[in-house]
Amino acid sequence: MIAERDIATSVAPGAKPAPSGPPPLTVENVTKRFGEGPTALTAVDSVSFTLDAGEFVSVIGPSGCGKSTLFHVIGGLSDVTQGIVRVENETINGPHPAVGIVFQEESTFPWRNVIDNVAFPLELRGVSRSERHAAASHYIDMVGLHGFEKRLPSELSGGMRQRVSIARTLAAKPRILLMDEPFAALDEQTRLLLGDKVLQIQQQLKQTTLLITHSITEAVQLSDRILIMSYRPGRIKRIVNVDLPRPRTSDVVSSPEFGAIVADIWADLREEASRGLQESERGQG
Amino acid sequence: MAATTRVTAAPARLNLSVSAIRVIGAVVILGIWQLLALSGLFFRDVVPPLQNIAGGLIKLLGSGAFYANLAVTGFELILALAIGGIAGLVVGLLLGSRALLSDAYESWLSYLGPTPKIILFPVMIMLFGVDSGSKIAMGAISCFFPIAISVAAGMRGVDPTLRRVGRSLQANSWQMFFKIELPAMAAPLVNGVRLGFGVAVIGTLLAETKLSNQGIGFMIINAYTRFDMPQMYALLIVTITFAAVVNAFAERIAKRFGGAGSGRKP
Repeated sequence: MIAERDIATSVAPGAKPAPSGPPPLTVENVTKRFGEGPTALTAVDSVSFTLDAGEFVSVIGPSGCGKSTLFHVIGGLSDVTQGIVRVENETINGPHPAVGIVFQEESTFPWRNVIDNVAFPLELRGVSRSERHAAASHYIDMVGLHGFEKRLPSELSGGMRQRVSIARTLAAKPRILLMDEPFAALDEQTRLLLGDKVLQIQQQLKQTTLLITHSITEAVQLSDRILIMSYRPGRIKRIVNVDLPRPRTSDVVSSPEFGAIVADIWADLREEASRGLQESERGQG
Repeated sequence: MAATTRVTAAPARLNLSVSAIRVIGAVVILGIWQLLALSGLFFRDVVPPLQNIAGGLIKLLGSGAFYANLAVTGFELILALAIGGIAGLVVGLLLGSRALLSDAYESWLSYLGPTPKIILFPVMIMLFGVDSGSKIAMGAISCFFPIAISVAAGMRGVDPTLRRVGRSLQANSWQMFFKIELPAMAAPLVNGVRLGFGVAVIGTLLAETKLSNQGIGFMIINAYTRFDMPQMYALLIVTITFAAVVNAFAERIAKRFGGAGSGRKP
């Protein structure tokens, strides 16, 4: 059995102590509602999970399942209606300095060249120019943009700009990396190749990462665990462990094990996605 | 190889023809002017011949009085831009960042913006006197509106994702403004200042022509009253050239910022 079935009916808080120190991220019974009364929309409903140090976890679900809402809540950019998000045992109340965020949208500063974009978090902390440029160069090399330091974002492709954003977030040395569909706007080939880049970085930094995505292949390619979310209200429907060996590359997509996990996840997701599709069609009709 | 040469040659030829057309246009206009001047259709100096205007221009640029008046107008303009610009910046930032204030007051700005400010001139004379004070006030009021409106729009136009990046990286409000919001709205800001400069020149010069004893506006109206047409045209040429040069300069800056601000490929 490659994927271990594990129906997640809200894990009891604090049930699983992390191997060493407090878990980097704990999400406890988080609910997010928009609006009041009968028209209120529950985007995220009693979601609980814990990230272990160095673990790569993906949250996957159909559009409208509340995964982006969950991302904003964990990033501290949006309040919870109920529940608690803890970063290293500290209840968050706004963006936490240990959490680095990579956004789905374009987020490079168009007036700054690549190196000054990547050095931005260090500039905010008052690090000297030479020091922060040295640090930025390191992360620029890591995402494979060596030689593009002086280019403006407008001179780069979409995939390259997203790598600049990733390097910028890494330069802040976050202990938890939170990514919201960072490759959603890119074509499939570029996504797979950038996935390789993320795998390499993961290998190098042992970075605890939570990835929000709607791409099954991306989730299976990158993750240790995958949380499947249901369509409205967004709940964790199932947790899938990905036991594919590491180090991985995008070659893994052609292995039969990979195919089996993807098929298994799709069986679950299809149900949710079609429910979402039906509801949105009814909404329009 | 051949393709490259053709590609590079085409724009060069285009540039040449654009300048050629411009030169032809200027020559034609000047020619018509000169013909009208020599035709005797107009009363005396209403359309003076080109050589008289050139003479007036030389005489003007050689006179100390011109530079003294230019200094007065320049001083008024700089103060008007500083006062109206800072007020416009502050009001624009408030309106652009507070939706409630914007809902309440921004329509006032857009209704008052295009109304002729010259009607306020008598009030300004009473408040600030007949000297530079009232001219500065006119210039400041004029440039306040376009600057406030552009800054408010610019502030609202700042990409919310960029602000979120700042928040997620724990930027304080100072850093948020100077490192994210201000550079993100550089293009509308520079454009607002450019528009503001234009209307400040109008407001100041118009006020000088109405009631004054110094400044370029006064010199123009004075030359007109004395029916010294060569000098009046010389002054008009100097003023138009000055405004055009400043505008071209500001447009270059705006383009530079605009290029950086909107140069995102889809």
